Amino acid sequence: MLSVFENNSAMRWLGKQLFNREDPAAFFDPILSIINPMMVRGLTPARVEAITHAARDTKTFHLKPSPRWSGFRAGQHININVEIDGVRCHRTFSLSSAPAQWEQDGTITLTIKRLPGGKVTNWLHDRLETGTVVGISEAFGEFDIPNVEQPLLYLAGGSGVTPVLSHLVTLADQDYRAPVTVLYYVRTQADEIGAETLRALQARWPALTLVIHRTDEDGPSALMNEAHLEQVPGIKARHCFLCGPPGLMDLAQDLLGRFGIREEQISATFFTAPTPVEVSEPLGGEVRFAGSDVTVESEGDAPLLEIAEAAKLNPKHGCRMGICHQCSCRKTSGTVVNRLTGKASGPGEETIQLCISVPQGDVEVDV
Amino acid sequence: MQQLTNEQLDNLARDLDAIRDEVMADVGERDARYIRRVIRTHRALEIGGRAMLPFGFLPPLFIAGTASLGIAKILENMEIGHNVMHGQYDWMNDPSLHSQTYEWDTVCTGDSWRYTHNYEHHTYTNVIGKDRDYGYAVLRLSDDVKWHPGHLLQFINFTLLSVFFQWGVGLHELETERMRRGEIKLSDKREVLRDLMRKGGRQAFKDYVFFPLLTFPVAPIVLAGNIGANLIRNLWASNVIFLGHFTEDAETFSEDMLEGESRGQWYLRQLTGSSNFTGNKWMHILSGHLSHQIEHHVFPDMPAHRYREIAPRVQKICEKYGLHYNSASFASQYKTVLRKVFHYSLPDRIRTRLQAA
Repeated sequence: MLSVFENNSAMRWLGKQLFNREDPAAFFDPILSIINPMMVRGLTPARVEAITHAARDTKTFHLKPSPRWSGFRAGQHININVEIDGVRCHRTFSLSSAPAQWEQDGTITLTIKRLPGGKVTNWLHDRLETGTVVGISEAFGEFDIPNVEQPLLYLAGGSGVTPVLSHLVTLADQDYRAPVTVLYYVRTQADEIGAETLRALQARWPALTLVIHRTDEDGPSALMNEAHLEQVPGIKARHCFLCGPPGLMDLAQDLLGRFGIREEQISATFFTAPTPVEVSEPLGGEVRFAGSDVTVESEGDAPLLEIAEAAKLNPKHGCRMGICHQCSCRKTSGTVVNRLTGKASGPGEETIQLCISVPQGDVEVDV
Repeated sequence: MQQLTNEQLDNLARDLDAIRDEVMADVGERDARYIRRVIRTHRALEIGGRAMLPFGFLPPLFIAGTASLGIAKILENMEIGHNVMHGQYDWMNDPSLHSQTYEWDTVCTGDSWRYTHNYEHHTYTNVIGKDRDYGYAVLRLSDDVKWHPGHLLQFINFTLLSVFFQWGVGLHELETERMRRGEIKLSDKREVLRDLMRKGGRQAFKDYVFFPLLTFPVAPIVLAGNIGANLIRNLWASNVIFLGHFTEDAETFSEDMLEGESRGQWYLRQLTGSSNFTGNKWMHILSGHLSHQIEHHVFPDMPAHRYREIAPRVQKICEKYGLHYNSASFASQYKTVLRKVFHYSLPDRIRTRLQAA
């Protein structure tokens, strides 16, 4: 019912007048969230239906999004939005289930590995309970199955296999005839994500060739090398999908290049968790003002406001001493040190005050 | 003004920073739960008030509906809007509670408020000529402003400002006093004026046109209730704000003090330029914790419900440096405000004789 404030332009205008906000339907969220959190409008709610073990330190979260969520293509990701100690946190994860499953029973799955020291992944593992409602974004990403049937090669490492699982189930359901080879690199058998699904696919879908390399158990020959790729028949004609940690991705790109595979034959997807800078890292760094498309180098303890002004930008500001928040804006990546408290921020997206934030390493802000 | 040595000022800054760091490190789920609970209460009161007013032909429901809507507006303006716009909840990373985009239920636009209040007032607190909130350019509250006979009538201004407070605050950034002095032209303020018309129009449309017409046969009752609710909010908000800086013992400062001001001096100016009033839990919540104006001025972006908890420590610090911690009951603080408005409406000669008496 509240969707009229979103979809009908006259009602949207009226809602803005009555509730003083750009998203008038969300005005009622504080009340709706206690009646039934699946009714809120400010974000797209999804209920946690089940949480299952997937591999060592890895769990699969089965979610049922609200009916207004618009679905996804195999290989896409979503942002999941949870509140940890009062702070709303967003993280991006690949969907590990196939779109057909969502069409059938309305559920999707995220398969998530604990990151050592990771605030969100550890919270999801330790605190998230079945029945809780979390926020999700619409799906995004271009890690798509090719439109035209052609031979495929997947090079996946660790938890990078999750979008590949979504692809493979979808391809098998289509009865994809062209050869599909999956080279999956994991440390040990206990780290194999989706092992059962992969084995089941192998049994029912003749086009699939699955090779799992356990780098800690099978000796040095299990590390990705030319010999692995030489065994892939007709590799030159294949479209290649890469998904895994950055080291593996770089190596794979390099090897594929040696086999004469062109850039446009390769689709890659990865997002590494941003890592906090070392405490000892010196102040200053490369600052990118994304909104104005300006990048400058900074040194020493110059705050972002002064750096922006030196670069001839004129961001909104006031007191220049950290009290009035006129200069608050989004930092999209990087670490800054708060001049008043001396504390370093997290590495991810958050609101900062330009006049008292000193970059520590490379930083990107929305100015 | 109370004088401290540079060393004392540095120690004062260090003592206050220690409180700030300790509280800010602890800010988290408790504060998020608190503000969400206040917001839920606001929604319930606003929806309840608007639902009751059409039945306002029954006097008890008229009173309940008007009071409910009036309190909703007070909560939204004081404890939610004012505090959210100070950045007290920016750390929550919730787009509906973001200081730079929040828009509140009053005539003044969020942008105008962020500039005149968060920046001008909180940076230049009680500096005559720089802090336009001191007397709101319509009240003479210190002898830095030269007396003229018009000031004899400033009680009328005082009353009008209280009754139409939301419009007064809305008009504040227009700086009409500077227009009268010919320093700026109306055309210099074209954008401010445009935003004011849009926001003022929106507020008037909502309370004085849309909701009355929606309940057409009883429109006059709903209109009266909405006017009443806005009036309740105006009277309460204006008086809470007057009590924060216009009390007799709240000090004022001159512009030359700003030159090279240290953090310690800034803290000292905030401590001695503000005044608190005492009361129960609801007095504090409904004033947006501006009853703790002193704590608010030293830590404007700390979640406001924490002021109550740190107040004894701030008071101790004041005692340590021999500073006057200006706190008294609502009634006695209010009396000093009225006395000040009255005294400064008089020519200096008569005023000094009265004050001496």
